[in-house]
Amino acid sequence: MEEELISIKNTALSFILEAEDLKNLEEIKLQFLGKSGKLTLLIKEITKVPPEKRKEVGMLANEVKDAIEDAIKLRQENLKHKTKTVLRQKIDVTNPGILPPLGHEHLVTQAIEEISGIFEKIGFTRVTYPEVEWDWFAFEALNFPQGHPARDDWETFFIKGEKDPQKGAMLLTPHTSSGQIREMQKALITENKGEEVSIRMLNVAKCYRRQSDISHTPMFHQFETLVIDKNISISHLKGVLDYFAKSYFGQNRKTRIRPYHFQFTEPSFEVDVTCGVCNGKGCKLCKEGWLEMGGAGMVHPNVLKMSGIDPEKYRGFASGWGVERVLMMREGLEIDDLRLLYSNNLDFLEQF
Amino acid sequence: MNIKILDSWLRDYLKTKATPQKIEEVLSETSVSVERLEKYKDDFIYDIEVTTNRPDLMSVTGLAREASTVLNQRGVEARFIPLKLQAEKGQKADFITIKNDPRLVNRICAVVMDVRIKDSPNFIKERLENSGIRSLNNLIDITNYVMRTLGHPSHIFDYDRLSTKLLIIREAQKGEEIRTLDNKEHMLQGGEIVAVNDKNTIVDLLGIMGLENSVVNGNTKRILFFIDNNEKNHIRKASMSLGIRTEAAVLNEKGLDSELSYEALLYGIKLYKEFAQGTVLSEIIDIYPNKLKEKTVTVSQEKINKIIGVEIPAKKSSEILKGLGFENIVENNILKVNVPSFRSGDIEVGEDIAEEVARIYGYGNIPQLLPPLPNNFGPKSYINEFYWEKRARKAMKYWGFTECYTYSMVPGDLLEGPEEGAVEIENPLSEEFVFMRRTLVPSLLKVASENKKRQEIKIFELSKVYLKKENRLPEEKLMLAGIIKKQNASFYEIKGIVEQLIKDFGISDLNFKESERGGLGSSLYIGKEYLGEIEVLNTDLVDFEIDFTIILKYANLKKTYKPISKYPPVVEDISLVAGNEVKTENIINEIKAQSVLVADVYLFDQFENSRSFRITYLNPEKNLSSNEVSSVRKKILTSLREKFKATIK
Repeated sequence: MEEELISIKNTALSFILEAEDLKNLEEIKLQFLGKSGKLTLLIKEITKVPPEKRKEVGMLANEVKDAIEDAIKLRQENLKHKTKTVLRQKIDVTNPGILPPLGHEHLVTQAIEEISGIFEKIGFTRVTYPEVEWDWFAFEALNFPQGHPARDDWETFFIKGEKDPQKGAMLLTPHTSSGQIREMQKALITENKGEEVSIRMLNVAKCYRRQSDISHTPMFHQFETLVIDKNISISHLKGVLDYFAKSYFGQNRKTRIRPYHFQFTEPSFEVDVTCGVCNGKGCKLCKEGWLEMGGAGMVHPNVLKMSGIDPEKYRGFASGWGVERVLMMREGLEIDDLRLLYSNNLDFLEQF
Repeated sequence: MNIKILDSWLRDYLKTKATPQKIEEVLSETSVSVERLEKYKDDFIYDIEVTTNRPDLMSVTGLAREASTVLNQRGVEARFIPLKLQAEKGQKADFITIKNDPRLVNRICAVVMDVRIKDSPNFIKERLENSGIRSLNNLIDITNYVMRTLGHPSHIFDYDRLSTKLLIIREAQKGEEIRTLDNKEHMLQGGEIVAVNDKNTIVDLLGIMGLENSVVNGNTKRILFFIDNNEKNHIRKASMSLGIRTEAAVLNEKGLDSELSYEALLYGIKLYKEFAQGTVLSEIIDIYPNKLKEKTVTVSQEKINKIIGVEIPAKKSSEILKGLGFENIVENNILKVNVPSFRSGDIEVGEDIAEEVARIYGYGNIPQLLPPLPNNFGPKSYINEFYWEKRARKAMKYWGFTECYTYSMVPGDLLEGPEEGAVEIENPLSEEFVFMRRTLVPSLLKVASENKKRQEIKIFELSKVYLKKENRLPEEKLMLAGIIKKQNASFYEIKGIVEQLIKDFGISDLNFKESERGGLGSSLYIGKEYLGEIEVLNTDLVDFEIDFTIILKYANLKKTYKPISKYPPVVEDISLVAGNEVKTENIINEIKAQSVLVADVYLFDQFENSRSFRITYLNPEKNLSSNEVSSVRKKILTSLREKFKATIK
């Protein structure tokens, strides 16, 4: 019996060492340790061994079994490693991968997503308001006098149909500022419930103007901020716009405001950011180191009044900038014709 | 609007040691932007963008006055030297009578002069040419020189060619014809301000351009020098509709200081005397029906400081305002400010005064602060419509679609449906942009056809459509549309996109019905609510368009947990042949209806008319016995045979 056990052990070990692959090793394992394997069958015969020797033989049988199992495990590891070596020889890391599908988001989508994220971090809430709007919201309540050039047929698209006796003609919003009036009217509802007006609005929307040339498309996008509260001053306007410029263009950028003129803000400003190419030293691409980002200003008291907000109690600021403009400024994409953005040429869209 | 002027010209009226670079810097930061400063010989040219509310700065003297103040406030010594003009008495002689219409012209100053035509002196030529104005002869150049110096346009007629002693100002009637001095014919729209002679012939298009029939020429001996201060809206309308954008028109449409008109006349007379051997023949005409009213604005220093966000003493404000030409008094921290005539079109309320103080105080000196969080800022939901829009766009991107932005305005042939029911633009830019679209797919199809070279196109757009409503604003509805164009494009590929998107948005009840629109494809529903369409246009083109507002209504991130079964499922396949009229959905529902032990059924293979379903049996309470499974299977097979006349393979 003992001799048989030793012989099985030796045979098994030599088989295991010679096993060529994992499949072969599995067969060897079955041959010795399987239900009707050689060792399994022999162990069943231990009952035939005289009782006084049974314990000794039993211990030997266990040792043999352990030895075979250990050898199999060891060989398994070695064989696995060998397979990897074979695989490694088959892989050319410079061959192309199997690509999952990957499309592209439009540049404007990418910009809007980032801009929204920046403002939401400091408590702004994004909203949407009508793109087809009444004259009253787009001009009248924004303090544009009758006869102002922006109200001309030459600059703004008007919609066919009868005018509303109170709200005037229907038109395509030439700016996101009409959302200011809508937002303030909405806030008044909460004020009537006893809450104070406290607005941090971000309005991103399509706008429309009657011009189409290399630097204008008849449809474009603006993002508008509106902050209304007690004790809002020019210093907050500067703070928010500087925060945006640093977040969007980079921490090393600086901003400044310059006097400008808009109907619906007083004072009004043009906001500049230092040029990223020359770092504000002055170069061909900028004006003495500065690039214009867009307009801003303190909400005109007439606009507050028209929206039903008491200008003695509340003040605020607003800004309205072109999404396409800040996008072009940051990426330094020298797109020679802005209309390309809306041409939907796939050779263009797939670059981003 | 932009103005270009020579530094040496500016310095006729501005005494300062400041360099052109310093003037550029200070003007840009406190007043108007100097867009370029260009060297010219041993001089400089400023190119300045003037905002529409400051036509007073469209002149050399206006800029000198402004620059002197802002330089002084920045600690650079500077002094404004106003133009010195002598009063002119004129002659008692009957040359011309002007009948004005005060609704059209605020003030008319005029004089008849004897002159000699020749070249302008070099300095006038050089100053005008560097200002972007072509030098012609001394008579014309002087009108332009006056305009640049003072910011008020002026005009001259050949008095003898006018051959009338009467000028009447009136509105033009529609259909009247004129020939402007550049020899172009124009048909008037009606409402333009014109001057007619005693025979009712139009001899001038006021505020915009002179006419061929009365303009000076090489033989001119006597001129009518004419300064008209016009009602601005008439000028804007006429100039835009006739497409004549002269500098005079651009200035006049902004509304000019009528106090300047007389100065312009006197300065012109002086120049004609000096450079055209001019003598005054007539009386000095000054018709001034709309005299400017004095304007006062009262504002507290406290309010100014609250707007700016800095504590500025009232004394300082008062001083700044005085420097800018605003006389004022301070009592108990309240400023009473007189608005000078050259700013009367621009200054109305306390905020306007605050702006004047702030810009001179220096915007750069105001600190930068973030506003506090709004007082209603609470645990607002992060999951809003923009969250889902973003998620949909990302999904489409990672399923291989490229996003398009097509125009909201479309031509009639991209509209689908009758034009009467569409939102229509009254003044479209071209035939390409006439209607507001009601559907996105036609725009995407156009994109596909424009990208002809591509074998395979997968594009999408998430945008609004505009549905007309009587007497209300249109309904603006967000739609998601996409198309696949390739050889043998599959309905199922688009269907799969929609199914996965809806599933990812936590919506379960999506149904597909035979298209109700007649075409090949499917109408989609969430529950009973119509969601949109999938259309098979041809073998290579499949599209979908779904109502994103409906998706927003149902989209959710709700999580439900079902305990994972401890017992193993039994999975088996059934293949059957049934008629085409038997829908897969019906078969699946039938199989599921046979027993609660059927946990899942799906079509996993289809070949010709044979369909294979994979069925998962599961009892979450215990191990399934083979008897249980086989009895359910028997029930399933029987019902499929009976109900659908199916042959089981």
